[in-house]
Amino acid sequence: MRRTVLCICVLWAVAVAFAPAGKALFKVPKGWPRPVYDLSHNPLSEKKILLGRALFHDPILSADSTISCVSCHLQYSAFTHVDHKLSHGIAGHIGRRNSPTLMNMAWGTQFMWDGAVNHLDMQPLAPIAHPDEMAFAADSVVLRFRRSDVYKRLFYEAWGDSDITGERFLKSMAQFMLTLVSSNSKYDKVMRHEDNAAFTPQEANGYRLFRANCEACHKEPLFTTNGFANNGLPIDTGLNDMGRMGVTGRPADSLLFKIPTLRNIEFSYPYMHDGRFSKLRDVVEHYATGIEYGPTLSPELRKPIMLSPNEKVDLVAFLLTLTDRGFLFDTAFSFPVDVLGR
Amino acid sequence: MVRALYILLCFLMVGTVSAQTRQYAVSFVPCYGDNILTAGDTYAAAGIDTVQVTTLRFYISGIELMRQETSVWKEANSYHLLDMEEPSSMHLALNIPNGLAFDAIKLRLGIDSITNVSGAMGGELDPTKGMYWSWQSGYINFKLEGTSPACATRKHEFQFHLGGYAGAQNSMQTVVLKVNDKDGVAISLDIKKFLSGIDLHTTNSIMIPGPNAVALSRKVVGSFSIGP
Repeated sequence: MRRTVLCICVLWAVAVAFAPAGKALFKVPKGWPRPVYDLSHNPLSEKKILLGRALFHDPILSADSTISCVSCHLQYSAFTHVDHKLSHGIAGHIGRRNSPTLMNMAWGTQFMWDGAVNHLDMQPLAPIAHPDEMAFAADSVVLRFRRSDVYKRLFYEAWGDSDITGERFLKSMAQFMLTLVSSNSKYDKVMRHEDNAAFTPQEANGYRLFRANCEACHKEPLFTTNGFANNGLPIDTGLNDMGRMGVTGRPADSLLFKIPTLRNIEFSYPYMHDGRFSKLRDVVEHYATGIEYGPTLSPELRKPIMLSPNEKVDLVAFLLTLTDRGFLFDTAFSFPVDVLGR
Repeated sequence: MVRALYILLCFLMVGTVSAQTRQYAVSFVPCYGDNILTAGDTYAAAGIDTVQVTTLRFYISGIELMRQETSVWKEANSYHLLDMEEPSSMHLALNIPNGLAFDAIKLRLGIDSITNVSGAMGGELDPTKGMYWSWQSGYINFKLEGTSPACATRKHEFQFHLGGYAGAQNSMQTVVLKVNDKDGVAISLDIKKFLSGIDLHTTNSIMIPGPNAVALSRKVVGSFSIGP
Protein backbone atom coordinates (compact mmCIF):
# COMPACT_ATOMS: atom_id res chain seq x y z
CA MET A 1 0.00 0.00 0.00
CA ARG A 2 2.73 2.37 1.06
CA ARG A 3 4.65 1.49 -2.09
CA THR A 4 1.62 2.27 -4.24
CA VAL A 5 1.26 5.68 -2.62
CA LEU A 6 4.96 6.35 -3.12
CA CYS A 7 4.70 5.27 -6.73
CA ILE A 8 1.76 7.60 -7.32
CA CYS A 9 3.64 10.44 -5.65
CA VAL A 10 6.72 9.87 -7.82
CA LEU A 11 4.60 9.66 -10.96
CA TRP A 12 2.79 12.83 -10.03
CA ALA A 13 6.07 14.63 -9.37
CA VAL A 14 7.47 13.49 -12.71
CA ALA A 15 4.29 14.52 -14.49
CA VAL A 16 4.36 17.98 -12.92
CA ALA A 17 8.03 18.43 -13.69
CA PHE A 18 7.68 17.55 -17.36
CA ALA A 19 4.24 18.93 -18.14
CA PRO A 20 4.42 22.17 -20.13
CA ALA A 21 3.90 25.05 -17.69
CA GLY A 22 0.59 26.00 -19.29
CA LYS A 23 0.41 27.06 -22.95
CA ALA A 24 2.84 29.90 -23.56
CA LEU A 25 0.83 33.11 -23.94
CA PHE A 26 2.96 34.32 -26.82
CA LYS A 27 5.61 32.45 -28.74
CA VAL A 28 7.76 33.64 -31.61
CA PRO A 29 7.41 30.98 -34.31
CA LYS A 30 10.61 29.22 -35.32
CA GLY A 31 12.65 31.29 -37.75
CA TRP A 32 10.57 34.44 -37.39
CA PRO A 33 12.02 37.86 -36.57
CA ARG A 34 11.67 39.45 -33.17
CA PRO A 35 8.28 41.08 -32.60
CA VAL A 36 8.02 44.83 -33.12
CA TYR A 37 5.65 45.20 -30.17
CA ASP A 38 7.54 45.72 -26.91
CA LEU A 39 6.03 43.07 -24.66
CA SER A 40 7.83 44.47 -21.61
CA HIS A 41 5.65 47.59 -22.00
CA ASN A 42 2.54 45.43 -21.62
CA PRO A 43 3.38 42.00 -20.11
CA LEU A 44 0.82 39.42 -21.14
CA SER A 45 -1.39 37.62 -18.64
CA GLU A 46 -4.18 35.16 -19.18
CA LYS A 47 -6.73 37.40 -17.47
CA LYS A 48 -5.79 40.46 -19.49
CA ILE A 49 -5.97 38.49 -22.73
CA LEU A 50 -9.39 37.20 -21.68
CA LEU A 51 -10.55 40.76 -20.96
CA GLY A 52 -9.28 41.84 -24.38
CA ARG A 53 -11.05 38.92 -25.99
CA ALA A 54 -14.32 39.87 -24.31
CA LEU A 55 -13.92 43.48 -25.45
CA PHE A 56 -13.17 42.31 -28.98
CA HIS A 57 -16.43 40.37 -29.15
CA ASP A 58 -18.66 42.81 -27.25
CA PRO A 59 -20.80 45.45 -29.01
CA ILE A 60 -20.49 47.56 -25.84
CA LEU A 61 -17.81 49.48 -27.75
CA SER A 62 -20.34 51.04 -30.16
CA ALA A 63 -22.72 53.94 -29.54
CA ASP A 64 -25.89 51.86 -29.77
CA SER A 65 -24.31 48.56 -28.68
CA THR A 66 -24.86 46.90 -32.05
CA ILE A 67 -21.36 46.73 -33.51
CA SER A 68 -18.40 44.83 -32.09
CA CYS A 69 -14.91 44.43 -33.52
CA VAL A 70 -16.05 41.03 -34.76
CA SER A 71 -18.76 42.66 -36.87
CA CYS A 72 -16.06 43.56 -39.40
CA HIS A 73 -13.31 41.17 -38.28
CA LEU A 74 -14.68 37.62 -38.31
CA GLN A 75 -12.31 34.88 -37.30
CA TYR A 76 -13.32 32.41 -40.04
CA SER A 77 -12.39 34.94 -42.71
CA ALA A 78 -8.99 35.74 -41.19
CA PHE A 79 -10.59 38.52 -39.13
CA THR A 80 -11.82 40.58 -42.03
CA HIS A 81 -15.33 41.43 -43.23
CA VAL A 82 -16.17 38.49 -45.42
CA ASP A 83 -17.90 39.14 -48.73
CA HIS A 84 -18.14 42.92 -48.31
CA LYS A 85 -16.15 45.16 -50.59
CA LEU A 86 -16.48 48.10 -48.23
CA SER A 87 -17.16 47.27 -44.62
CA HIS A 88 -20.34 48.50 -43.00
CA GLY A 89 -20.74 49.65 -39.43
CA ILE A 90 -23.32 51.32 -37.26
CA ALA A 91 -26.87 51.71 -38.63
CA GLY A 92 -25.79 50.14 -41.92
CA HIS A 93 -23.35 52.95 -42.74
CA ILE A 94 -20.86 51.92 -45.42
CA GLY A 95 -17.21 52.76 -44.83
CA ARG A 96 -14.67 53.63 -47.48
CA ARG A 97 -12.35 50.64 -47.20
CA ASN A 98 -12.33 46.88 -46.89
CA SER A 99 -11.56 45.96 -43.29
CA PRO A 100 -8.00 44.62 -42.98
CA THR A 101 -7.27 41.07 -41.81
CA LEU A 102 -5.97 40.76 -38.26
CA MET A 103 -3.04 38.44 -37.60
CA ASN A 104 0.60 38.54 -36.57
CA MET A 105 0.13 42.10 -35.35
CA ALA A 106 3.01 41.79 -32.91
CA TRP A 107 5.18 42.25 -36.01
CA GLY A 108 3.19 45.22 -37.33
CA THR A 109 4.68 48.70 -37.39
CA GLN A 110 1.73 50.82 -38.53
CA PHE A 111 -1.90 49.89 -38.75
CA MET A 112 -4.82 50.57 -41.10
CA TRP A 113 -4.52 50.64 -44.91
CA ASP A 114 -2.88 54.06 -44.74
CA GLY A 115 -0.81 53.51 -41.58
CA ALA A 116 -2.75 56.19 -39.71
CA VAL A 117 -2.38 54.31 -36.43
CA ASN A 118 1.15 54.13 -35.08
CA HIS A 119 0.84 51.53 -32.32
CA LEU A 120 -1.27 48.44 -31.74
CA ASP A 121 -2.49 49.87 -28.40
CA MET A 122 -4.09 52.81 -30.18
CA GLN A 123 -5.78 50.86 -32.95
CA PRO A 124 -9.20 50.37 -31.26
CA LEU A 125 -9.62 54.15 -30.86
CA ALA A 126 -10.06 54.59 -34.62
CA PRO A 127 -13.07 52.31 -35.29
CA ILE A 128 -14.68 53.30 -31.99
CA ALA A 129 -14.74 56.98 -32.93
CA HIS A 130 -15.42 56.61 -36.65
CA PRO A 131 -18.97 57.84 -37.40
CA ASP A 132 -19.55 54.99 -39.88
CA GLU A 133 -18.12 52.25 -37.66
CA MET A 134 -18.90 52.41 -33.93
CA ALA A 135 -19.67 56.14 -33.70
CA PHE A 136 -18.74 56.36 -30.04
CA ALA A 137 -16.11 58.08 -27.91
CA ALA A 138 -13.32 56.35 -26.04
CA ASP A 139 -14.00 58.22 -22.79
CA SER A 140 -17.68 57.18 -22.94
CA VAL A 141 -16.63 53.57 -23.46
CA VAL A 142 -14.55 53.71 -20.29
CA LEU A 143 -17.53 55.14 -18.37
CA ARG A 144 -19.64 52.24 -19.65
CA PHE A 145 -17.13 49.71 -18.30
CA ARG A 146 -17.24 51.44 -14.91
CA ARG A 147 -20.99 50.86 -14.76
CA SER A 148 -20.88 47.26 -15.97
CA ASP A 149 -20.75 44.47 -13.39
CA VAL A 150 -19.18 42.14 -15.95
CA TYR A 151 -16.37 44.56 -16.79
CA LYS A 152 -15.85 45.70 -13.20
CA ARG A 153 -15.08 42.05 -12.44
CA LEU A 154 -12.99 41.42 -15.57
CA PHE A 155 -10.88 44.56 -15.09
CA TYR A 156 -10.39 43.76 -11.41
CA GLU A 157 -9.29 40.20 -12.17
CA ALA A 158 -6.98 41.36 -14.94
CA TRP A 159 -5.38 44.39 -13.33
CA GLY A 160 -5.60 43.69 -9.61
CA ASP A 161 -7.64 46.71 -8.51
CA SER A 162 -10.86 48.52 -9.33
CA ASP A 163 -9.37 51.29 -11.41
CA ILE A 164 -10.75 51.16 -14.95
CA THR A 165 -8.77 53.43 -17.29
CA GLY A 166 -8.30 54.01 -20.98
CA GLU A 167 -4.74 52.73 -20.70
CA ARG A 168 -5.85 49.41 -19.21
CA PHE A 169 -8.68 49.07 -21.71
CA LEU A 170 -6.36 49.59 -24.68
CA LYS A 171 -3.56 47.43 -23.32
CA SER A 172 -5.98 44.55 -22.69
CA MET A 173 -7.26 44.77 -26.24
CA ALA A 174 -3.68 44.82 -27.54
CA GLN A 175 -2.92 41.68 -25.53
CA PHE A 176 -5.71 39.76 -27.19
CA MET A 177 -4.67 41.00 -30.63
CA LEU A 178 -1.05 39.99 -29.95
CA THR A 179 -2.17 36.40 -29.45
CA LEU A 180 -3.62 36.25 -32.99
CA VAL A 181 -0.59 34.50 -34.45
CA SER A 182 -0.98 32.49 -37.63
CA SER A 183 2.07 30.32 -38.33
CA ASN A 184 0.81 26.80 -39.00
CA SER A 185 -0.18 26.76 -42.64
CA LYS A 186 0.96 24.06 -45.03
CA TYR A 187 3.62 26.52 -46.22
CA ASP A 188 4.97 26.77 -42.65
CA LYS A 189 5.03 23.00 -42.23
CA VAL A 190 6.89 22.58 -45.51
CA MET A 191 9.43 25.20 -44.44
CA ARG A 192 9.88 23.55 -41.02
CA HIS A 193 10.00 20.04 -42.53
CA GLU A 194 7.13 19.07 -40.26
CA ASP A 195 4.72 16.12 -40.61
CA ASN A 196 6.36 15.09 -43.91
CA ALA A 197 4.67 18.13 -45.45
CA ALA A 198 5.62 18.79 -49.07
CA PHE A 199 4.39 21.07 -51.84
CA THR A 200 2.73 19.42 -54.83
CA PRO A 201 4.62 20.11 -58.09
CA GLN A 202 2.01 22.79 -58.87
CA GLU A 203 2.44 24.50 -55.48
CA ALA A 204 6.22 24.25 -55.78
CA ASN A 205 6.11 25.99 -59.14
CA GLY A 206 3.75 28.60 -57.66
CA TYR A 207 6.24 29.19 -54.83
CA ARG A 208 9.04 29.65 -57.37
CA LEU A 209 6.93 32.22 -59.24
CA PHE A 210 6.01 33.91 -55.97
CA ARG A 211 9.64 34.28 -55.00
CA ALA A 212 10.47 35.70 -58.41
CA ASN A 213 7.59 38.18 -58.66
CA CYS A 214 5.92 38.90 -55.30
CA GLU A 215 8.50 38.35 -52.57
CA ALA A 216 9.94 41.89 -52.71
CA CYS A 217 6.81 43.32 -51.08
CA HIS A 218 5.17 40.23 -49.57
CA LYS A 219 8.29 39.17 -47.72
CA GLU A 220 8.40 35.84 -45.92
CA PRO A 221 7.68 34.72 -43.30
CA LEU A 222 5.13 37.49 -42.57
CA PHE A 223 4.34 37.97 -46.25
CA THR A 224 4.64 41.74 -45.93
CA THR A 225 7.47 44.21 -45.49
CA ASN A 226 5.12 46.40 -43.40
CA GLY A 227 5.73 49.02 -46.07
CA PHE A 228 3.37 51.05 -48.26
CA ALA A 229 3.13 50.76 -52.02
CA ASN A 230 1.13 51.80 -55.04
CA ASN A 231 0.33 48.46 -56.67
CA GLY A 232 -1.04 49.96 -59.86
CA LEU A 233 -4.75 49.91 -59.10
CA PRO A 234 -6.63 52.49 -61.16
CA ILE A 235 -8.19 54.99 -58.76
CA ASP A 236 -11.84 54.46 -57.91
CA THR A 237 -13.27 57.88 -58.72
CA GLY A 238 -16.26 57.20 -56.51
CA LEU A 239 -13.98 56.97 -53.47
CA ASN A 240 -10.96 59.06 -54.49
CA ASP A 241 -8.96 57.39 -51.76
CA MET A 242 -5.40 58.74 -51.91
CA GLY A 243 -4.15 56.28 -49.26
CA ARG A 244 -1.00 57.09 -47.33
CA MET A 245 -0.89 60.68 -48.61
CA GLY A 246 -3.95 61.40 -46.48
CA VAL A 247 -1.79 60.79 -43.41
CA THR A 248 1.57 62.26 -44.37
CA GLY A 249 0.45 65.01 -46.74
CA ARG A 250 3.33 64.05 -49.06
CA PRO A 251 2.55 63.78 -52.79
CA ALA A 252 5.09 60.91 -52.99
CA ASP A 253 2.67 58.91 -50.83
CA SER A 254 -0.26 59.36 -53.20
CA LEU A 255 -2.12 56.06 -53.83
CA LEU A 256 0.18 54.11 -51.51
CA PHE A 257 -1.52 51.56 -49.29
CA LYS A 258 -0.15 49.19 -46.71
CA ILE A 259 1.20 45.96 -48.14
CA PRO A 260 -1.07 43.35 -46.59
CA THR A 261 0.02 39.92 -45.46
CA LEU A 262 -1.04 37.11 -47.78
CA ARG A 263 -1.53 34.60 -45.00
CA ASN A 264 -5.00 33.02 -44.99
CA ILE A 265 -5.73 34.83 -48.23
CA GLU A 266 -7.99 31.97 -49.32
CA PHE A 267 -10.58 33.15 -46.81
CA SER A 268 -10.04 36.91 -46.70
CA TYR A 269 -11.83 37.85 -49.92
CA PRO A 270 -12.66 40.30 -51.36
CA TYR A 271 -9.18 41.74 -51.96
CA MET A 272 -7.44 45.14 -52.01
CA HIS A 273 -8.15 48.19 -49.84
CA ASP A 274 -11.51 48.68 -51.53
CA GLY A 275 -12.34 45.00 -51.98
CA ARG A 276 -12.53 45.39 -55.72
CA PHE A 277 -11.43 41.82 -56.56
CA SER A 278 -13.51 38.91 -55.34
CA LYS A 279 -11.35 36.07 -56.67
CA LEU A 280 -7.66 35.31 -56.24
CA ARG A 281 -7.37 34.82 -59.98
CA ASP A 282 -8.57 38.42 -60.46
CA VAL A 283 -5.74 39.56 -58.17
CA VAL A 284 -3.12 37.62 -60.11
CA GLU A 285 -4.61 38.91 -63.38
CA HIS A 286 -4.29 42.49 -62.10
CA TYR A 287 -0.55 42.09 -61.53
CA ALA A 288 -0.12 40.39 -64.90
CA THR A 289 -2.15 42.71 -67.10
CA GLY A 290 -3.91 45.44 -65.10
CA ILE A 291 -1.14 47.66 -63.76
CA GLU A 292 -1.75 51.38 -64.23
CA TYR A 293 1.53 53.24 -64.65
CA GLY A 294 1.45 56.34 -62.46
CA PRO A 295 4.22 58.44 -60.93
CA THR A 296 4.11 56.68 -57.55
CA LEU A 297 3.82 53.12 -58.92
CA SER A 298 5.97 50.70 -56.94
CA PRO A 299 9.37 50.27 -58.70
CA GLU A 300 8.94 46.49 -58.47
CA LEU A 301 5.89 46.69 -60.73
CA ARG A 302 7.39 48.88 -63.45
CA LYS A 303 8.64 45.81 -65.27
CA PRO A 304 5.63 43.76 -66.41
CA ILE A 305 5.07 40.45 -64.67
CA MET A 306 4.74 37.86 -67.41
CA LEU A 307 2.74 34.78 -66.44
CA SER A 308 1.32 32.06 -68.65
CA PRO A 309 -2.22 30.85 -67.90
CA ASN A 310 -0.78 27.75 -66.21
CA GLU A 311 1.60 29.81 -64.14
CA LYS A 312 -1.28 31.96 -62.90
CA VAL A 313 -3.04 28.84 -61.70
CA ASP A 314 0.14 27.57 -60.05
CA LEU A 315 0.63 30.87 -58.24
CA VAL A 316 -2.88 30.66 -56.82
CA ALA A 317 -2.22 27.06 -55.79
CA PHE A 318 0.77 28.28 -53.77
CA LEU A 319 -1.27 31.08 -52.16
CA LEU A 320 -3.73 28.46 -50.93
CA THR A 321 -0.91 26.80 -48.95
CA LEU A 322 -0.93 29.90 -46.72
CA THR A 323 -4.22 28.84 -45.17
CA ASP A 324 -3.91 28.05 -41.45
CA ARG A 325 -7.07 26.26 -40.38
CA GLY A 326 -5.81 25.87 -36.84
CA PHE A 327 -5.78 29.67 -36.62
CA LEU A 328 -9.12 30.22 -38.34
CA PHE A 329 -10.89 27.81 -36.02
CA ASP A 330 -8.87 28.28 -32.81
CA THR A 331 -11.45 28.42 -30.01
CA ALA A 332 -9.05 30.55 -27.95
CA PHE A 333 -10.07 33.48 -30.19
CA SER A 334 -13.80 32.80 -30.37
CA PHE A 335 -16.69 34.40 -28.47
CA PRO A 336 -15.99 33.96 -24.73
CA VAL A 337 -19.30 32.44 -23.67
CA ASP A 338 -18.01 31.92 -20.09
CA VAL A 339 -17.59 35.64 -19.46
CA LEU A 340 -20.09 37.30 -21.75
CA GLY A 341 -22.80 34.67 -21.40
CA ARG A 342 -25.69 35.16 -23.77
CA MET B 1 18.79 67.00 29.81
CA VAL B 2 19.49 64.07 27.51
CA ARG B 3 15.81 64.03 26.66
CA ALA B 4 15.84 67.71 25.80
CA LEU B 5 18.85 67.19 23.55
CA TYR B 6 17.07 64.25 21.92
CA ILE B 7 13.98 66.36 21.20
CA LEU B 8 16.16 69.14 19.85
CA LEU B 9 17.90 66.62 17.59
CA CYS B 10 14.55 65.39 16.32
CA PHE B 11 13.50 68.93 15.48
CA LEU B 12 16.76 69.53 13.69
CA MET B 13 16.35 66.35 11.62
CA VAL B 14 12.80 67.18 10.60
CA GLY B 15 14.04 70.64 9.73
CA THR B 16 16.80 69.20 7.56
CA VAL B 17 14.43 66.88 5.71
CA SER B 18 11.90 69.57 4.95
CA ALA B 19 14.71 71.95 4.10
CA GLN B 20 15.89 69.69 1.29
CA THR B 21 13.06 70.55 -1.09
CA ARG B 22 10.61 73.33 -1.49
CA GLN B 23 7.68 74.02 -3.73
CA TYR B 24 7.87 76.38 -6.63
CA ALA B 25 4.46 77.23 -8.02
CA VAL B 26 3.89 77.60 -11.75
CA SER B 27 0.44 78.92 -12.55
CA PHE B 28 -1.06 79.39 -15.97
CA VAL B 29 -3.53 82.23 -16.29
CA PRO B 30 -5.67 82.31 -19.43
CA CYS B 31 -6.37 85.92 -20.37
CA TYR B 32 -8.13 87.87 -23.03
CA GLY B 33 -6.09 91.02 -23.33
CA ASP B 34 -6.23 92.67 -19.91
CA ASN B 35 -9.02 90.42 -18.64
CA ILE B 36 -8.91 87.00 -17.06
CA LEU B 37 -10.48 84.59 -19.55
CA THR B 38 -13.71 82.97 -18.36
CA ALA B 39 -15.47 80.24 -20.29
CA GLY B 40 -18.63 81.53 -21.96
CA ASP B 41 -17.94 85.25 -21.42
CA THR B 42 -18.05 87.49 -24.46
CA TYR B 43 -14.98 89.49 -25.40
CA ALA B 44 -14.52 92.15 -28.02
CA ALA B 45 -12.39 91.00 -30.93
CA ALA B 46 -10.86 92.85 -33.84
CA GLY B 47 -13.31 95.19 -35.56
CA ILE B 48 -16.88 94.79 -34.39
CA ASP B 49 -16.62 91.06 -33.76
CA THR B 50 -16.83 89.24 -30.48
CA VAL B 51 -15.37 85.98 -29.21
CA GLN B 52 -16.50 83.40 -26.69
CA VAL B 53 -14.21 80.60 -25.55
CA THR B 54 -15.82 77.32 -24.47
CA THR B 55 -12.83 74.98 -24.23
CA LEU B 56 -9.16 75.56 -23.52
CA ARG B 57 -7.02 72.52 -22.80
CA PHE B 58 -3.34 71.95 -23.44
CA TYR B 59 -0.36 69.82 -22.51
CA ILE B 60 2.68 71.26 -20.78
CA SER B 61 5.62 68.87 -20.59
CA GLY B 62 9.35 68.63 -20.04
CA ILE B 63 9.61 71.39 -17.44
CA GLU B 64 13.18 72.50 -16.71
CA LEU B 65 14.68 75.31 -14.69
CA MET B 66 17.63 77.17 -16.16
CA ARG B 67 20.42 79.33 -14.87
CA GLN B 68 22.39 81.35 -17.39
CA GLU B 69 20.95 79.25 -20.20
CA THR B 70 22.02 75.98 -18.58
CA SER B 71 19.56 73.45 -17.25
CA VAL B 72 19.85 73.11 -13.46
CA TRP B 73 16.73 71.03 -12.72
CA LYS B 74 14.36 68.79 -14.66
CA GLU B 75 10.99 67.59 -13.51
CA ALA B 76 10.68 63.80 -13.60
CA ASN B 77 7.84 62.34 -15.66
CA SER B 78 6.84 65.86 -16.60
CA TYR B 79 3.47 65.71 -18.38
CA HIS B 80 0.62 68.00 -17.37
CA LEU B 81 -2.83 68.34 -18.90
CA LEU B 82 -4.21 71.81 -18.20
CA ASP B 83 -7.89 72.53 -18.52
CA MET B 84 -9.49 75.93 -18.09
CA GLU B 85 -12.60 74.27 -16.67
CA GLU B 86 -10.60 72.59 -13.91
CA PRO B 87 -8.85 75.52 -12.25
CA SER B 88 -6.68 73.28 -10.07
CA SER B 89 -5.10 71.80 -13.18
CA MET B 90 -3.78 75.25 -14.10
CA HIS B 91 -1.53 75.36 -11.03
CA LEU B 92 1.57 73.18 -11.05
CA ALA B 93 3.77 72.73 -8.00
CA LEU B 94 7.40 71.86 -8.70
CA ASN B 95 9.30 70.17 -5.87
CA ILE B 96 12.74 71.66 -6.26
CA PRO B 97 15.88 71.48 -4.12
CA ASN B 98 16.07 74.19 -1.54
CA GLY B 99 18.55 76.86 -2.42
CA LEU B 100 18.36 76.14 -6.13
CA ALA B 101 19.11 79.31 -8.03
CA PHE B 102 17.64 79.82 -11.48
CA ASP B 103 16.56 82.63 -13.74
CA ALA B 104 14.37 80.99 -16.38
CA ILE B 105 11.86 78.21 -16.92
CA LYS B 106 11.83 76.05 -20.03
CA LEU B 107 8.75 74.14 -20.99
CA ARG B 108 7.16 72.44 -23.94
CA LEU B 109 3.71 73.00 -25.28
CA GLY B 110 2.62 69.50 -26.28
CA ILE B 111 3.88 65.94 -26.20
CA ASP B 112 7.21 64.74 -27.58
CA SER B 113 7.35 62.35 -30.54
CA ILE B 114 8.78 59.39 -28.58
CA THR B 115 5.80 59.46 -26.22
CA ASN B 116 3.51 59.80 -29.24
CA VAL B 117 4.66 56.47 -30.67
CA SER B 118 5.00 54.45 -27.46
CA GLY B 119 1.50 53.03 -27.08
CA ALA B 120 -1.07 53.50 -24.36
CA MET B 121 -0.03 55.56 -21.34
CA GLY B 122 -1.76 56.28 -18.06
CA GLY B 123 -2.53 59.33 -15.92
CA GLU B 124 -2.51 62.65 -17.74
CA LEU B 125 -1.47 60.85 -20.92
CA ASP B 126 -4.42 58.45 -20.93
CA PRO B 127 -5.62 58.57 -24.56
CA THR B 128 -9.26 58.61 -23.49
CA LYS B 129 -8.98 62.10 -21.96
CA GLY B 130 -10.16 63.79 -25.14
CA MET B 131 -6.67 64.95 -26.09
CA TYR B 132 -5.79 62.10 -28.45
CA TRP B 133 -6.82 61.76 -32.06
CA SER B 134 -8.58 58.53 -32.94
CA TRP B 135 -8.51 58.61 -36.73
CA GLN B 136 -4.77 59.24 -36.87
CA SER B 137 -2.50 58.46 -33.94
CA GLY B 138 -1.15 61.37 -31.95
CA TYR B 139 -1.83 63.67 -29.05
CA ILE B 140 -3.67 66.95 -29.43
CA ASN B 141 -1.19 69.36 -27.89
CA PHE B 142 -3.52 72.33 -27.67
CA LYS B 143 -7.27 72.60 -27.97
CA LEU B 144 -9.17 75.87 -28.20
CA GLU B 145 -12.86 75.94 -29.04
CA GLY B 146 -15.40 78.72 -29.02
CA THR B 147 -17.73 80.86 -31.06
CA SER B 148 -17.52 84.12 -32.92
CA PRO B 149 -19.99 85.79 -35.29
CA ALA B 150 -17.00 86.10 -37.62
CA CYS B 151 -17.06 82.35 -38.26
CA ALA B 152 -19.15 81.36 -41.26
CA THR B 153 -19.68 77.94 -39.70
CA ARG B 154 -22.48 76.03 -38.04
CA LYS B 155 -23.40 77.91 -34.85
CA HIS B 156 -20.44 80.22 -35.60
CA GLU B 157 -18.09 77.73 -33.97
CA PHE B 158 -14.31 77.68 -34.26
CA GLN B 159 -12.11 74.74 -33.32
CA PHE B 160 -8.35 74.64 -33.13
CA HIS B 161 -7.00 71.20 -32.31
CA LEU B 162 -3.26 71.54 -32.72
CA GLY B 163 -1.04 68.47 -32.83
CA GLY B 164 1.21 66.35 -35.01
CA TYR B 165 4.53 64.81 -34.04
CA ALA B 166 6.15 63.34 -37.16
CA GLY B 167 8.84 65.16 -39.11
CA ALA B 168 7.72 68.47 -40.58
CA GLN B 169 4.32 67.99 -38.92
CA ASN B 170 5.84 68.17 -35.45
CA SER B 171 3.92 70.97 -33.74
CA MET B 172 5.36 70.68 -30.24
CA GLN B 173 6.90 73.97 -29.17
CA THR B 174 9.59 74.82 -26.64
CA VAL B 175 9.46 78.10 -24.82
CA VAL B 176 11.86 79.71 -22.33
CA LEU B 177 10.57 82.43 -20.01
CA LYS B 178 12.57 84.58 -17.62
CA VAL B 179 11.44 84.08 -14.02
CA ASN B 180 12.66 84.82 -10.54
CA ASP B 181 13.35 81.93 -8.23
CA LYS B 182 11.28 83.09 -5.24
CA ASP B 183 7.92 81.43 -4.57
CA GLY B 184 6.54 80.98 -8.03
CA VAL B 185 5.55 82.39 -11.31
CA ALA B 186 2.31 83.16 -13.13
CA ILE B 187 2.40 82.58 -16.87
CA SER B 188 -0.39 84.20 -18.77
CA LEU B 189 -1.73 82.84 -22.03
CA ASP B 190 -3.35 85.67 -23.94
CA ILE B 191 -6.02 84.28 -26.27
CA LYS B 192 -6.57 87.74 -27.74
CA LYS B 193 -2.97 87.78 -28.85
CA PHE B 194 -3.28 84.24 -30.21
CA LEU B 195 -6.38 85.13 -32.25
CA SER B 196 -4.94 88.39 -33.52
CA GLY B 197 -3.97 88.01 -37.13
CA ILE B 198 -6.20 84.97 -37.58
CA ASP B 199 -9.12 85.71 -39.86
CA LEU B 200 -11.81 83.63 -38.17
CA HIS B 201 -13.99 84.06 -41.22
CA THR B 202 -11.65 81.81 -43.23
CA THR B 203 -9.49 80.08 -40.60
CA ASN B 204 -11.81 78.56 -38.03
CA SER B 205 -11.19 74.84 -38.05
CA ILE B 206 -7.72 73.35 -37.83
CA MET B 207 -7.95 69.74 -36.70
CA ILE B 208 -5.23 67.90 -38.57
CA PRO B 209 -1.43 67.90 -38.37
CA GLY B 210 0.33 70.01 -40.97
CA PRO B 211 1.79 73.45 -41.68
CA ASN B 212 -1.24 75.31 -40.26
CA ALA B 213 -1.07 73.40 -36.99
CA VAL B 214 2.64 74.12 -36.71
CA ALA B 215 2.19 77.84 -37.44
CA LEU B 216 -0.66 78.20 -34.94
CA SER B 217 1.30 76.29 -32.29
CA ARG B 218 4.05 78.88 -32.65
CA LYS B 219 1.40 81.57 -32.14
CA VAL B 220 0.30 79.88 -28.91
CA VAL B 221 3.76 79.98 -27.33
CA GLY B 222 4.09 83.52 -28.63
CA SER B 223 1.05 84.32 -26.49
CA PHE B 224 2.72 83.16 -23.27
CA SER B 225 4.16 85.85 -21.07
CA ILE B 226 5.15 86.32 -17.47
CA GLY B 227 2.15 88.03 -16.17
CA PRO B 228 0.61 90.45 -14.81
